[in-house]
Amino acid sequence: MTRAIGKDIPHDSAATHVTGESVFLDDLPPLAGELLAGIVPSPVAHGRIRRLDLSAARNIPGVHAVLTAADIPGHNAFGPAVKDELLIVEDEAVFLGQPLAIIAAETPAALEQARRAVIVEMEELPKLLTIDEAIAAASFLGSHRKLERGDVATAFASAPHTLSGELHIGGQEHFYLESQVAIAIPGEQGQMTVHSSTQHPSEVQMMVAEALGVPFNHVVCICKRMGGAFGGKETQAAHPAMIAAILAARTRRPVRFVNTKDDDMRFTGKRHPFKAVYKAAYTDDGRITALDAQLYSNGGCSTDLSFAVLERAMLHSDNAYYLPAVRITGRVCKTNLPSNTAFRGFGGPQGVAMIETIIEEIAATLNIDALDIRQRNVYSDPIENGLAASAASSSARNITPYGQLVRNNTLPELFNTLRADCAYDARRAEITRFNAASPTHLRGMALSAVKFGISFTRRTMNQANALVNIYQDGSVIVSTGATEMGQGVYTRIRQIVADELGIAYAAVVVAPTSTDKNNNTSPTAASSGTDLNGAAAADACLRLRARLTAVAAGMLARPADGLPAEPDRIRFEDGQVFDTRAPDHVIPFARVCCQAYEQRINLGERGFYITPGVDFNRETGRGSPFLYFTNGVACSEVLIDRFTGELAVTRVDLLMDLGKSINPGIDRGQIIGGFIQGMGWVTAEQLVYGPAGQLLSNSPTTYKIPNISDVPPIFNVTLLPNPNNEVSLYRSKAVGEPPLLLGLSVWLAVKDALSVAGAATGLSLPATGEQILLALAAAAQMRTPQPVST
Amino acid sequence: MRDHVLLYLNGRVLRISGDDAFLTLAEYLRRRQNLTGTKIVCAEGDCGSCAVLIGRPAQGAMRYAAVTSCIQLLFQLDASHVVTVEGLRDGQQLNPIQQAMVACHGAQCGFCTPGFVVSLYDLMHDGRTVDAQSICRGLVGNLCRCTGYDSIVRSALTADRQNLKPLDALYPPGPLIEALEQSQSQEVLIETPSCRYFKPTTLDRAVHFRADNPNCTIIAGGTDLAVVHNKRIREITAALSTTALAELNICRRDPDALYIGAGATLTALEQAALTHLPELGRFLAWFGSPLIKNAGTLAGNLVTGSPIGDTLPALIVLGAEIDVAGLTGTRRIPIANFYSGYRKTVLAPDELLTGVRIPLPLTTSHEIFKLYKVSRRKDLDISSFSAAIWLRRQSPDGPIDDIRIALGGVGPMVLRPTRAEESLRGQQPTLDLFERAANLAAADVTPITDVRGSEAYRRALASNILLKFWHETFGTPQPDRNENSNGDGPNGHPTAPNHAGAERRELRDQSAAPDPALAPPTGVPQ
Repeated sequence: MTRAIGKDIPHDSAATHVTGESVFLDDLPPLAGELLAGIVPSPVAHGRIRRLDLSAARNIPGVHAVLTAADIPGHNAFGPAVKDELLIVEDEAVFLGQPLAIIAAETPAALEQARRAVIVEMEELPKLLTIDEAIAAASFLGSHRKLERGDVATAFASAPHTLSGELHIGGQEHFYLESQVAIAIPGEQGQMTVHSSTQHPSEVQMMVAEALGVPFNHVVCICKRMGGAFGGKETQAAHPAMIAAILAARTRRPVRFVNTKDDDMRFTGKRHPFKAVYKAAYTDDGRITALDAQLYSNGGCSTDLSFAVLERAMLHSDNAYYLPAVRITGRVCKTNLPSNTAFRGFGGPQGVAMIETIIEEIAATLNIDALDIRQRNVYSDPIENGLAASAASSSARNITPYGQLVRNNTLPELFNTLRADCAYDARRAEITRFNAASPTHLRGMALSAVKFGISFTRRTMNQANALVNIYQDGSVIVSTGATEMGQGVYTRIRQIVADELGIAYAAVVVAPTSTDKNNNTSPTAASSGTDLNGAAAADACLRLRARLTAVAAGMLARPADGLPAEPDRIRFEDGQVFDTRAPDHVIPFARVCCQAYEQRINLGERGFYITPGVDFNRETGRGSPFLYFTNGVACSEVLIDRFTGELAVTRVDLLMDLGKSINPGIDRGQIIGGFIQGMGWVTAEQLVYGPAGQLLSNSPTTYKIPNISDVPPIFNVTLLPNPNNEVSLYRSKAVGEPPLLLGLSVWLAVKDALSVAGAATGLSLPATGEQILLALAAAAQMRTPQPVST
Repeated sequence: MRDHVLLYLNGRVLRISGDDAFLTLAEYLRRRQNLTGTKIVCAEGDCGSCAVLIGRPAQGAMRYAAVTSCIQLLFQLDASHVVTVEGLRDGQQLNPIQQAMVACHGAQCGFCTPGFVVSLYDLMHDGRTVDAQSICRGLVGNLCRCTGYDSIVRSALTADRQNLKPLDALYPPGPLIEALEQSQSQEVLIETPSCRYFKPTTLDRAVHFRADNPNCTIIAGGTDLAVVHNKRIREITAALSTTALAELNICRRDPDALYIGAGATLTALEQAALTHLPELGRFLAWFGSPLIKNAGTLAGNLVTGSPIGDTLPALIVLGAEIDVAGLTGTRRIPIANFYSGYRKTVLAPDELLTGVRIPLPLTTSHEIFKLYKVSRRKDLDISSFSAAIWLRRQSPDGPIDDIRIALGGVGPMVLRPTRAEESLRGQQPTLDLFERAANLAAADVTPITDVRGSEAYRRALASNILLKFWHETFGTPQPDRNENSNGDGPNGHPTAPNHAGAERRELRDQSAAPDPALAPPTGVPQ
């Protein structure tokens, strides 16, 4: 039979993407009477409202509403976990750009006029922008988090070597191309329909309902697709949706809120900046015996998802490496920035950056190749260790610091394979020769890994439901809580439903995500979109097929020929149904559906899935939070101009274990897209703030995501065949986030190159050209001036 | 005199008057024509999601080029044919580029996709051969955040180009040329209560309008001014377009110079320079994206007068001259005298820039001319620092006869480190000599810290660039390096990653300016 799963099927929307016909939210023509929404942003990062005069703004022709916090019918305070963010400032603004008032007007010009007519006077209060400022002021959100195993003190006391350091890790702007947007359409009896560009329709539904003071069932949130999201539309799509809905409820008109790119960059949260303070103990051959670290994240003004991000950072501080004794504490700093939020990797990249930095530093100190250090520390199975002990024995090097067993561990194989395939050792020798001879350039190389835990660390969120409806002509609609942001989750769910029902891929339509079809959904996040929602869809299909099997068995039975109805013999393949005892006698799937309808058989089904076995105790820092790990390795090589600090990534070789891929073409796009996004984070993407706390790098003119010419000229991407991931859907593995963490290999290669010039210590992230050049200059000054020969 | 804009959109004639003439093309397409395949992301020409093709008659043919429609004001498009992504279908079929983009996963979220399709059409429809490198150069103006670009390059390489129809096959050129040439010969004046727009057909009329409208904004490519407009930094109340001034739309080689009219696009300059002034031609590859260079002009780069304007250092070391026209006639101004301060020129209120004369250095081994640019990102970025060095030796192995160095991004104007220059004249070019000159250059500059870099960084670059120049020019050849690595640096040196490029919207160096409601930023150039 023809199966859709495993095939390189183009993206569900590709044909309309390329013609420009795909409808994004702001492509919808305005509804009759529709108004545009905007905000009056706080001009200061921290300050008290002294005067807010809206009267002139309200009198501008075409302006229908200028509202403040007092006008919100329901709750002003909101947040995904802790409701500690105010949508509209009541008294004290806590970040620059926080709305002081919201406006609905007929035209962009009227909106702009109204905004300018607002009179604002603020009393500025002391502000905190950076992690160090927050630490100094003891300004934190919530309490600290802890992850601990073994006897760290003893390990340090007995270690032949120790090192310590600090790593400063920058944030990252999502730079989804479609800025935040929502359209709210008031309905009857207090109901509201909200079209939102969101990864989390259920949360938008709940936040809007709470802001309006209505029950959840009065709000429907619909998301057809997003023009990119990357985590930035997980919680923060709520702001525009709430603003539009509050104005729509007040004016009784449809209201559209569309951020400009500049405002979107200035006023929404980003990847959390981190500061890692670390100490590591290690042996003569570079085996890490203990890690003692404090992680501080810059949470911004409110909690948002900061604790989940911090936890994932802590849970990934081991990355691919076995750490016998560990003590990691984490704190979220409270500052006067827009609340930082989810971003692809979700803390994982920051945790991994720390341990990979430690490995580079061990290698430099011991003068051993960093890849050898990595391979000596990689998680390994007892059998490879020559240990007959059970997997859980204390001498096994396959238990994470939080106590989870690393199953189906492909990490050693990934390292071995890529080391050979990318000619690592020969290239290392060549790079060493080059660096010894070149007065103008430095080369560096690093081969690093990712072991990314798949599942939400909050157990509750590991659930999904799906609705599958079959029509009398055999065509099928499926809807789930998964949202489409370009990652191809609709495509994969179509593939799954087609195969589960034995029908053509083309016979399945994935409906826009909406909260009236699928309730209490989890965000499409944590790389879990297909794993959770695909499994829920498959669950629905299983029961539908069972019912159709009974119908078909009756239709295909020929008792006179000795073929009584026997459901176990019925097969659904390629849109046809047959009995294996008489495979030439086929009937179309559509006829079976029609017959089922005639027999009053339910042709709709609701599927449900919960991830089995996952559990994590936040208080003790122990448990098995992940269903499995997605693993990969990448080797990056860089070239640095000693005079300008300019960086070129000259070659990347990447090898990933994605189990058995559901859609290899889409997976490849996720790998390369994720890697390049990670490369941007560690190189040129730098958030620059002015002294008032305003983002200066607030448009693509000043914030530089990777360009097509930044893609390495040699970029080899390979998948490691691994059919053994038994715990997941069709033995596939989630792919959304893990490749991003491999972008760190570029930064590590920079560190490697700079170490040749004695300039690697204290390298922060991102490694901009400026940082590289100033590090080289500082290192040159440290050395005795060399006599120059021509 | 016409009182409306006349243009063709996907083959249909449109007449646009009143306030709509002052919308950006992207806004007009989306809001008035419901052609929403054209996306607006940045509204400053830096992402390419709004790319469209603009066709104009030239030498009896329709010439199309892709531009960013978010920074084209509608009135600029008078007498042109606009083709959007919706206009690139082959009947009901996807065109071969679109088919390849589908098959090769060239689209993920789809938001940037129409812009890529338009840029690729521009790159491929006229039968040029393409390879991975030319595709890459052709797409530097289009940002994608999802794919990492690999699948887009694959799509372009595998597209069935035999069956890709030239635009002339989709839109027969005969009737278009006739209609557009007629429109181009007509003066246009559009007046609304808040704005007036004039498209003269003679220089004399242009000068008079300029003199009568002191606040008049002169628009050629508009790649800077439309950003100013979009970000509401400055209102445009009166605008004068130079598109119909044929005498400005020239790009010619004189015996000892290149002459670039004020209406010539940077793309035209780049092509001419590749033949006649290769270092500048090579450098212009990194000036900005094709989408920008197809609209922007050298004159625009000069009159905005930013100290990080990428063409300025080159023009200064080559001793370019600027022709201007005013009520009392024309005059020629050496570029060294053209600027009176930060973003200030000596142009009188009635004067407009008509052309730039760039003397050509001798192509002997005695003369060396090199251009450098350092920016945060290699392509489509504004300089943190730029430099031009012109050097003449008395003989191929003789001492330095004369040297001119111009540095951008290290002061309120592009500046010459005169002490460094002086220390080099008459000397043999040793590394030791250049190291001393480098120290002097660092002391000669007055950089500031802003969003593009710190004072210390820029000072280090001002110094290091002389050492880099020495190694490239007089140093021993570099050791072999991985032959596969990225050797596309614009200065021809095998190991130089990148340093050419440029900017076109000098407003940006004050990353600063944006929102008047917000407090002033750290670094505004004084």
